[in-house]
Amino acid sequence: MKPSIHWGLTAGLLLTAAPSWSQTLPEASQRATLSGYLRDGATGEALVGASVFVKALGLGTNTDENGYYQLQLPKGTHTITYLIIGYEPQEVKINLGADATRSVKLSATRVQTQEVVVQGQRAEDNVRKPEMSVNKLDMKTVKLMPALLGEVDVVRSIQLLPGVTTVGEGASGFNVRGGGVDQNLILMDEMPVYNVSHLFGLFSAFNPDAVQDMKLYKGGIPAQYGGRLSSLLDVRLRDGHTAERASVNGGIGLISSRLAVEAPLIKDRTSVVLAGRRSYGDLFLKLVPDQKDNQAYFYDLSVKVNHKFSSRDQLQLTGYRGRDVFNFSNVFKNNWGNTGGTARWTHQFSPRLFGNFTGVAAQYDYALGVPNGTQAFEWTSSVRNYTGKADLNFQLNANNTISGGVSGTRYRFNPATVKPLSAESIFVELKVDDQQAGEYAAYIDNEQTLSPRLQVQYGLRLSVFDFLGTGKTIYDYQGETGQRKDPLNPRTPKDGEVVKRYANLEPRASMRFTLDENSSLKASYNRTAQYIHLISNTTAASPLDVWSPSTNNIRPERADQVALGYFRNFLDNGYEASVEVFGKTMDNQIDYVNGANTLLNKNLEGELLYGQGRAYGAEFFVKKNQGPLTGWVSYTLSRSERQIDGINRGEWYANKYDKTHNLSVVSMYQVGKRLTVSGNFSYSTGVATTFPNARFSYEGLVVPVVSGDARNNYRVPAYHRLDLGATLKNRTVEGRRWQSEWVFSVYNVYSRRNAYGIYFRQNEDDPRKTEAVRLSVFGSMLPSVSYNFNF
Amino acid sequence: MLARFFSLAALVLTLGTLASCTDVVQVELPEPESQLAVEGNITDQPGPYEIRLTRTGAYFDDKTPLAVRGAELTISDSQGATEILRETAPGVYQTSSLRGRIGNQYTLTIKADGQEYRAATEIKRVPEIDRFEQQHKVNEPGWRDGYYVLYNGPELPGVGDYYRFKLYQNDTLRNNPDELIVRDDALVDGKYIGDVELSDRPFRIGDRARVEILSLPKDYFFFLNEMFTQINNVGMFSSPPANVRTNIVNVNPNGPKAVGYFAGTAVRSATVTITP
Repeated sequence: MKPSIHWGLTAGLLLTAAPSWSQTLPEASQRATLSGYLRDGATGEALVGASVFVKALGLGTNTDENGYYQLQLPKGTHTITYLIIGYEPQEVKINLGADATRSVKLSATRVQTQEVVVQGQRAEDNVRKPEMSVNKLDMKTVKLMPALLGEVDVVRSIQLLPGVTTVGEGASGFNVRGGGVDQNLILMDEMPVYNVSHLFGLFSAFNPDAVQDMKLYKGGIPAQYGGRLSSLLDVRLRDGHTAERASVNGGIGLISSRLAVEAPLIKDRTSVVLAGRRSYGDLFLKLVPDQKDNQAYFYDLSVKVNHKFSSRDQLQLTGYRGRDVFNFSNVFKNNWGNTGGTARWTHQFSPRLFGNFTGVAAQYDYALGVPNGTQAFEWTSSVRNYTGKADLNFQLNANNTISGGVSGTRYRFNPATVKPLSAESIFVELKVDDQQAGEYAAYIDNEQTLSPRLQVQYGLRLSVFDFLGTGKTIYDYQGETGQRKDPLNPRTPKDGEVVKRYANLEPRASMRFTLDENSSLKASYNRTAQYIHLISNTTAASPLDVWSPSTNNIRPERADQVALGYFRNFLDNGYEASVEVFGKTMDNQIDYVNGANTLLNKNLEGELLYGQGRAYGAEFFVKKNQGPLTGWVSYTLSRSERQIDGINRGEWYANKYDKTHNLSVVSMYQVGKRLTVSGNFSYSTGVATTFPNARFSYEGLVVPVVSGDARNNYRVPAYHRLDLGATLKNRTVEGRRWQSEWVFSVYNVYSRRNAYGIYFRQNEDDPRKTEAVRLSVFGSMLPSVSYNFNF
Repeated sequence: MLARFFSLAALVLTLGTLASCTDVVQVELPEPESQLAVEGNITDQPGPYEIRLTRTGAYFDDKTPLAVRGAELTISDSQGATEILRETAPGVYQTSSLRGRIGNQYTLTIKADGQEYRAATEIKRVPEIDRFEQQHKVNEPGWRDGYYVLYNGPELPGVGDYYRFKLYQNDTLRNNPDELIVRDDALVDGKYIGDVELSDRPFRIGDRARVEILSLPKDYFFFLNEMFTQINNVGMFSSPPANVRTNIVNVNPNGPKAVGYFAGTAVRSATVTITP
């Protein structure tokens, strides 16, 4: 026996997905496949990432995202063990004569301790799985972390992971391994989310009560996903109970209130989760006399329905709508948000083959305008997509699991439509012509065990993008490199005609090589292509930014990334640790001419510059999973730069979000049965920024001059911040389901005025004087308290 | 419109958090290279027209900029007229007989410090002002109570007109950085610009309010627009600081670069005295 088999056996319960212990398998005819679902016995929720294994054989697997597992075994009698943290393990004896199905329900361990919820996946996956550059966050963990003004925030928690930065607190989105905010594919139950923010970026568009967990892929992105360069953030909404009776979660905070209802519609078959959230800043505005006509609020609403037709067919429907609304009396109105939905049918063709068939519609849109008077107008803009896809997963044999699929997306872009709202309006109608495009992809991927020590996953994705005509005039653009370009060669392609087609082959590969029981080496390579781009020339993406397809002028962005990692678990998997180094190159990166006008511009493409980007770095990550103290420490040393002709004299310069050092410490400590305290500390190098060093006067105004056309030649001071939180559960009354808790948090405990940016301006009182000013988004400590309940 | 949107965004953020703040900080900046700075206009109104030459200074240096004396300046127009300018004060150069006309092109030549620079511009058409009148706003949402001025006049048919509006209070230009009003006509082409407030700062009774509408060549519009961005570039949605364009070109492409602008504009104006 090889040593790996030996430790596989002695590791006992910690056995992992391991077709790797398969040398002793008999011929195919002697084998049969056992498959089925693992569910929570009380709620019916799928149990993801659970272990299913036969101890005696050292054979095992994990349940997938639907709680589904399949396991090839020699025919005969076996004892199957089902195991997942937080549940009572179960052993089932089965006589396997042919392919068979066995679904199992596990019951939660009676005292479900908080400290085990740091992860939805098992600790040893860190070492055993071929995937790398992946971080998974469970919503239960995120909820324990101190939250800004009590708003539990998916995006802010992601910013605490290695390799993730932001241009500043309160800025929309996040940056992964040197990529832009638009280079993250953010999926909420397969629905792309174009804008992840409420309130200009202060809060995220995800309702914490609706989210189950999220997984961030920073590299080694599976071939199944494409369309963005830098990352995939897979946000899964709660599935809901199919058993028992309805339950209600809610919370009252400083900023918003939340309510979520989970109910079985048909016992053991259909469940529904309905979750909503609304802020009520505007209700306070009503108390202020000169603000009483103003409205400012956001809301989001999500609904998810799960229906099991049979053990082989399942349908899942998700709908989402989020909105920010700002109305300044009758003077100015503005709103924006995402809307969309997903329908997914999961079908099990055989114990070894199942498929997901998904339809998605998603839209981001905004409107602003003045409702009355001579300046009455309405300005609308939107991006919308419809996607259909089919994904199949086939367990070829104990050593190979093949997945493959196809997808097609149709995009429609309305960059801007401005309409006058009254006859006496000074405005004319202005329309920046609609654009449309199609994006198609096919992929195949295999997860293969080559030897007990070596597991590989390799795949290929073919993506094709068609920029389509809309019956409107399009142009080419010509001009000096680095300058605003002029339109020429006007032509009018027919509606739906392919104006320009792009295709990319995107290889993806990752491997895991086991060093010993507790450590492994991993490597990955991936190429990604991105066909739609967020056109934004501001420091933080604004809600008014528009998405643009690749066109005859804008070429698809492409990235190649390699990553190497060393993964090690300590103290019986009590600690997971990893070190990863990565290098990434990106081409066709978009930037803007000086003074670019990116909104309401019919010749927007003339304002764009193109160049290349590169990023490299090392990420260190240690996570403690067990015991009263849990949490992680993450440190990233990295560089992210770009080179664009026309900017910084054509030389390389640091991206705004480049941070040499980036440290996060996240900790949660369970003091007693009722009290958990938490603390987060962040430190990072200040963002890159441009300082002028000269000035001249023009008609009485002082104009700054940046010598040598430099870009991002300075850094704002280093950023650091400490947050503290506490969650106190109220006593439960015997026989009553009502549970409640108080959540206290203090953001920016020592009131540091972290610089969002440093700006240069004339002194207001003495226009000859000039000064540098620091803007701090949060200049003081921000305490908050929320009350949560469920019954 | 956008500026207004972003200032509202800033307001919302402030209301939302009650915690954002700005404060003045000390920053060390390296000594810059000194460059020629040019500021001057030619209009369709009677001259003399003035060109000012200075040197750029360090960003935090608030002393009067160094005048460039003894330069040789010439303006020639597309009708063959040429005039040499006279230095009437240190760094200030004046025309004597030249008269700007709508439709003409002008070239300024500067010989200073051993370099030769050229700048080309033109004077574009300008619409007439119909009426310029006062309006008393009381209890109007979004406005402070007080006296405002309303602009009324046609916009010329055909996209491609660019304007600057200047507002004077008792002959003093309202010249805060955010009062540099430049507009293009893409959204208002050929419409009657009626009852438009050009400022949200009220006038006082007895004030003489004057408005000027200046036609701008397209490139000068970009210059002023970029300048507006750079001198109001504070906040979450600021754009990367970048140099504003110039039309002052060194004849020697490898020679030192200049900053500033020589612009042709046509001007119309109207005045109203605020009464109760």
